[in-house]
Amino acid sequence: MAVNRRDFLKGLAVGGTTGYFAMAGLSSTILKDTFLPNEPVGDVEIGEVKSIKCTVVSETSWFNNKVLVGDMMKAGGLLVNQYIIPWTHKGVAEGYNGDNSGGYCTLIDVEFLDGTKKKILFDCGWNTAWMDTCLQREGVDKMLEKDQIDLFYITHEHFDHYWGVESVLKHCNDMPIAVPKGFYQEGYDLLCNKGHWEVPGVKNDYPAKGQVTTRESGKVHKIFPGVASITFDSSIITRVKGEQALIFNIKDKGLAIVTGCCHMGIISLLQEVRHRVKGGEKIYAIQGGLHISPFEDWDPQYDDLILAIPKYGIEVMGCNHCTGYSTAEKMIKAGLPVVQGTARFKSKKKLYLGNGDQIVFG
Amino acid sequence: MNTLRNHMWLESRLFEDKMSQPARGILGVLVSFIMFYVLWWVFMDVRGIMKWYTPQYGYMYIRWILIVAIWQAYIFNFWPFSLEWRESKHPLVTGGTLILVNFAVVGIVIWGFFYNFLGKFSIPYLSVDQLEGLGMTRFYAREYSSLAILMFAAIASWLSPIVPVCFGNHPWQGMKQPARGITVFMVTFFMSVMFFFCLMHPHYHVLFWPFQEYAAAYPWWYDFAHTLHGNYNVGWVMCGTVAIWLLELTFDRYPFRLIRNKILRGVVGFVGVWAFAMLLFYMFNFVQDLSWGPAVDGAKRIYAPDWRYLHSGELAIMALIPAMILNFYFDNGPKKYSPAVNIAIRLAIIAVATCVFHFLYYKFSPGLLGTQAGYSHPQQFPMAPGILFICTMLFHNWFMDFWPGKKRTGNREVELDEEGEEIGVQ
Repeated sequence: MAVNRRDFLKGLAVGGTTGYFAMAGLSSTILKDTFLPNEPVGDVEIGEVKSIKCTVVSETSWFNNKVLVGDMMKAGGLLVNQYIIPWTHKGVAEGYNGDNSGGYCTLIDVEFLDGTKKKILFDCGWNTAWMDTCLQREGVDKMLEKDQIDLFYITHEHFDHYWGVESVLKHCNDMPIAVPKGFYQEGYDLLCNKGHWEVPGVKNDYPAKGQVTTRESGKVHKIFPGVASITFDSSIITRVKGEQALIFNIKDKGLAIVTGCCHMGIISLLQEVRHRVKGGEKIYAIQGGLHISPFEDWDPQYDDLILAIPKYGIEVMGCNHCTGYSTAEKMIKAGLPVVQGTARFKSKKKLYLGNGDQIVFG
Repeated sequence: MNTLRNHMWLESRLFEDKMSQPARGILGVLVSFIMFYVLWWVFMDVRGIMKWYTPQYGYMYIRWILIVAIWQAYIFNFWPFSLEWRESKHPLVTGGTLILVNFAVVGIVIWGFFYNFLGKFSIPYLSVDQLEGLGMTRFYAREYSSLAILMFAAIASWLSPIVPVCFGNHPWQGMKQPARGITVFMVTFFMSVMFFFCLMHPHYHVLFWPFQEYAAAYPWWYDFAHTLHGNYNVGWVMCGTVAIWLLELTFDRYPFRLIRNKILRGVVGFVGVWAFAMLLFYMFNFVQDLSWGPAVDGAKRIYAPDWRYLHSGELAIMALIPAMILNFYFDNGPKKYSPAVNIAIRLAIIAVATCVFHFLYYKFSPGLLGTQAGYSHPQQFPMAPGILFICTMLFHNWFMDFWPGKKRTGNREVELDEEGEEIGVQ
């Protein structure tokens, strides 16, 4: 090695400086607790409810994973705008009358501390023929006709949660409606302006006449005593943006969270509720789609999730829909409190709550 | 006696500027960007023709285009093309030909070597058809196999340049092409395979259910990385790729070039690059912690530990782009100070440019490139467009001699001694 003294010293200086910053960088990472703020504690008081009952109107958003993913891929991939995808509506053996589309919809009965009750229709599915059947099966069509639904809550703009809107509005179109920030103009047109799209096969001839509230992210929106909503500005496949979830504070139990798809991620949702809602340190239950393996796909990130969930002390997990059967199987094996279903009305397995199943919190 | 031209033709090139700065620099960036945008639109964009940006499937091709370009120019010194052909043809002819060869080699490697050889006869996750045959949805079969195949290239694009950049091709510096190219290729490919099995294969232990516990080790990084995902290794390997190129482009191989013994220089360089890569990796992680708060175990998107690691790699790529632009198109200024000061100023320029690029990318990429809005969606994967743009800058430099902003006027006829050092140069 032939290095002159001057060059060697220069190299040493540069190397030393780099080394110093390297150590500082590593130390900063190791000691990041020193640099980063403490975890916030939720302080928004939302009140309490006595209990809630969730009835799964439909959790089978589609009937064949390969057909659904194939539709998106043929149209250009998971990023393509959902309103230009020619979804398969014929020839699917396990579909509903050959149609691959189904939908996600839950009816939530809320009982308040004073004994009064309200009903929230949580999403409205996709395929109107399928949704008509499901709404009729659970008596929701009659509830709508009798103006018994107090709030029509749409979690996000995805086809399987929202495009069945005609099935709801044809029975009642003047109830209050809640949507998350992020809805595209197409979404509002479908809701209020008789939107009609030939290629994807979606329309609504019954425009909403009730108040439509768009809720922003970054804060807790109180809806009824003991009931609040929280919005995330998540970017979601098929160009969808934004999703909201409902929070119920069940007296003597803790918080119960009801989700549509939970694209924001279950841990992010739990964290956000913890950080914003008073009593968030005790999340008693979660219900709905957890969006982990919706197409029975997998990612080691989901194993991270299953390993992390026990730290939150959730007592009841009423998951279904886009949670995926693979996830439910792994969660059950990991000892998580997943509530099993009855596998009726085209729900395929008993691993989680299926169509027509009910769960009560409180 | 070996010559610089035969050893590393790129370094022997002499150029004449066809226009002054900043017009030459701006034109150069524009030419590379147009090439990038055409390729992106044809092959990647979900609104374009082939729509390969899913994102892993398209990213796989991009990673292999990069490593094959490195093989073509750095490892094989343009063999099987003769240097006379390289020197006599118009840059558009050499560029077009070498890019087509690049694409053909990429196709052969992916479809021939991985899908129909290794994937069929060794590991099913290297073949789309094999995974689909096992019952997997074709889309996910393609994404899973793409991630594995691209990781071979990612690791290779970190390790391959180390031989010429750090070791000066030692101990094979005296060999003629293609013997030297094949030797370096075999050594670095062997190393890449070894690293792949340690860094990425365990990811596939947990990707499939039931766990593949007899076929792959449990992810050994879980306890300290808080994720089972291979993105921990993807992130720092990306930083390794960037570190080696920053050493080459921004540091002018300083300070490792001061070590004359090439084996020692190579070993110190390899360790130094790794240390620099880890510094970048943890520094970018910390920047994210400061920006968004700490990662949360089990979370998705920007709070997911594995995504944070991936994004550190993405940030490193975003730093490499301005470093390349500065080197290729703006004469790698400044040069008038001592090496240490020059490097410090360049790094400051790159740091500022990285922040600007980061802001512009996330603001405009959904409209311009058809990516998903937001930072952390799986369909927002800046490594794909970032590395494709790097590839087109490399094409413009290595295959097209910076046409039309510069004209190659000849090559330095420098003889090298047995150690591969330029004779007469201290």
